[in-house]
Amino acid sequence: MQHSEVVEALLEMLSSSLEESRQLSSESALIADAGLESIQVIEYLCEVEDRFDLIIDEVSLADVSTVGELAEVVLRLRGPERS
Amino acid sequence: MSLFAKFDAAESTRNLLNSLPVNPTAVVIERVVSASEAIVGGRPTIMAGTNNYLGLTFDPDAIRAGQAALADAGTGTTGSRMANGTYQGHLDLETELADFFEVPHAMVFSTGYAANLGTLAALLGPGDAVLLDSEAHASLFDGCRMSGADIYRFPHNDAQGLAKRLRRLGERARHALIVVEGLYSIRGDCAPLKEFADVKAEYGGYLFIDEAHSLGLYGDGGRGLAEAAGVLSQTDFIVGTFSKSLGSIGGFCVSRHAELELFQYASRPYIFTASPCPSVIATTRAALAQLRARPELRIQVWRNAERLYSALSGLQLNLGPHVSPVIGVSFDDRDVALLCWQGLLDRGVYTNLILPPAAPEGGSLIRCSVTAAHSDAQIDTIVQAFTEVCREHGGSNTV
Repeated sequence: MQHSEVVEALLEMLSSSLEESRQLSSESALIADAGLESIQVIEYLCEVEDRFDLIIDEVSLADVSTVGELAEVVLRLRGPERS
Repeated sequence: MSLFAKFDAAESTRNLLNSLPVNPTAVVIERVVSASEAIVGGRPTIMAGTNNYLGLTFDPDAIRAGQAALADAGTGTTGSRMANGTYQGHLDLETELADFFEVPHAMVFSTGYAANLGTLAALLGPGDAVLLDSEAHASLFDGCRMSGADIYRFPHNDAQGLAKRLRRLGERARHALIVVEGLYSIRGDCAPLKEFADVKAEYGGYLFIDEAHSLGLYGDGGRGLAEAAGVLSQTDFIVGTFSKSLGSIGGFCVSRHAELELFQYASRPYIFTASPCPSVIATTRAALAQLRARPELRIQVWRNAERLYSALSGLQLNLGPHVSPVIGVSFDDRDVALLCWQGLLDRGVYTNLILPPAAPEGGSLIRCSVTAAHSDAQIDTIVQAFTEVCREHGGSNTV
């Protein structure tokens, strides 16, 4: 799976969890731009875990603020693709 | 960047709160009249926003015990148990807690916050995995973070969500710690402890339950939600506080694991803080004795909870899913919540206002709580005040 595909999936999930539609991109910050409250970020991350069937520890999220950075974490935790 | 720049957001919040007719964080309880009444803003006020569930803050036995301890042992211990000595009262309270929970080991902490911080930071370490409910109290999160363990959040009260994450952990699940609460303090919803215990039985791991708000309320013996759910024997650690149903201050952990006795050598929030003072220990012991001897207190607080929950439901307010002594009224509109909260205070009813980001689901919430000390007339006054403010301000969003 490519970074851009993960970003697209993350943005789609983000849009469906927001009450108002917003123009969001890979560079959008989950809190400042998407407008999620901290508790909503946790709920969103739980959805992301289920979507990609993985589990994300808090330390991995320490430097994550944007959708693109979250996509990098998802790709890293998913590990190398099987051919 | 300035050292103080991080306070810009806090200053904005304070300015917003100060612009309100009454700043909810600046309410002063001028005089406490009883377990259910106080003087606030010069007005007699019904206290419907405390954690004094059994109404024991004015229990005559507890007051006598506290006064006697002050006279006999002085005002404070002036140091930690590790460095400055354990008082007999500390040991007696630990023995009584272990007896109450029918487990061999108990440990007392100076606050409920310290109990969560001290047990989790001692129990967990780097490389360990902890699964934490997404709405768990800040003290639980802080304890996990202090430990350096890998923290994984799971959806609130979702046993299947927990199971999925344990499955993804693979072999690590067998040694993971599952951390949940009993009764959640904002909306008054209860954890599905039987389901959590079943998940633990399937995947392994250890179950840690914070019964801060459920002690004294649930179970035939008042031990908490784990007793009510029939999972005491499957629970590895129970923590709780003395500052709610027991009406004093402090915290505890009880366990069937002998390793709890070693926490005193490993728990920094236990080692590096002053131990509970003698009067606090004495009032806590007296209140625990009352909790055990007087199940009628539990019956009364539930009667009051059902009376208030039922009446507020009749007003089409958006309440939490379970009847409990904590009744959270959710609002979509923050300004309506603020107006209603102030309207209640103006009518002599004190409640708790919870604003984003503290409220679950990003909304606003008025938290009410009942105590065994409330009379029917006081509950009815609370309901009447809600009726009037909802009529005046448009009320809560409907169910």
